Amino acid sequence: MKNQLSVMLILLCFTFVVTGCKNTPPVTSGIGSKRITPEQEYAKYLQINNKQLAAQLHISDIKSRKSNDLLAINLSLTSSYRKSQQLQYQFQWFDQAGFVIEAGKSPWHPIELHGMQTLTVAGLAPSTQVATFSLYVREVPKKFFKF
Amino acid sequence: MNKFILATTISLAIVTLSGCTNKSVVRYGDATAVETNDINFGSTDLQKIASQMTDSLLLSPVVGTLTANTRPIMFVESIKNKTSEHIDTESITDSISTKLLRSGKFRFVDMGRVSAAREQMDFQQNSGMVDASKAVAFGQQVGAQYMLYGNLASIVKSNKDKSDVYYKFTLRLMDLKSGLVEWADETEIRKTKAKESVGW
Repeated sequence: MKNQLSVMLILLCFTFVVTGCKNTPPVTSGIGSKRITPEQEYAKYLQINNKQLAAQLHISDIKSRKSNDLLAINLSLTSSYRKSQQLQYQFQWFDQAGFVIEAGKSPWHPIELHGMQTLTVAGLAPSTQVATFSLYVREVPKKFFKF
Repeated sequence: MNKFILATTISLAIVTLSGCTNKSVVRYGDATAVETNDINFGSTDLQKIASQMTDSLLLSPVVGTLTANTRPIMFVESIKNKTSEHIDTESITDSISTKLLRSGKFRFVDMGRVSAAREQMDFQQNSGMVDASKAVAFGQQVGAQYMLYGNLASIVKSNKDKSDVYYKFTLRLMDLKSGLVEWADETEIRKTKAKESVGW
């Protein structure tokens, strides 16, 4: 009887473990800024959709200027975590009327942010029509099995 | 009774296990997202190179001067693949030239379509099927003023636990009249692949 109970318990435990054997969708939320113009104070337009990431990372500065008629952005990211983080960031560009420019073509750029590091990355508007922009930072999903 | 419980438990475990087999599922993904399926040259590397090179060229003060009052005409010479991988470098130059063209700062001539264009013009001129007054005449095209060219090189190192690949992409802009290299830049990519434990 005891043996049978042990077998049952082992099987039940195994069943619970195995039911977790699936690829769960990765966490793709992050932190970023809403659509802003170069003149606006970026700090008022920050958005945090992932509190866990926000505890390890914050946007410490956003600078912008016109270079060769194109809007150039400098984004500073500061880590408040002691380990390296694998991140990706994306800029989105909008014209004066708020219409997105080059929809779906703005790539996510991978970066490695070392522990407690501040890293400045750059973005350049794809056309002279760009008047406002937004940006977003999120983790590169790890290919682990999550339970 | 005990046998019944045991049999039920085993059956449940088998049913659950059978749900854990590999099933093919087709999904549409984000073509611009960072891709880390393997260490080989991938879409993220292509997009990173194209984006960084285009941004660097467009931000260059030299290019600012060149494009102040005119849209210079360029042609892209093929990128030499010096890596050990088979990489479609034409895809990189296509992305770069498309981005530059869409920026409104440059114009391009496509040397890869010269024979097709000649064939069409020959048809217009000599087939007798096109109104001669409206046919595109030979000898009216404009030539490129600048040439874009570059190299893609890699260094690969690996041991039993870790693989490391380093890519270096160099791009240059030459003034065809003077032969001077007016602008050059390079971008680097490092990718590593190491064994990691399963996360819980």
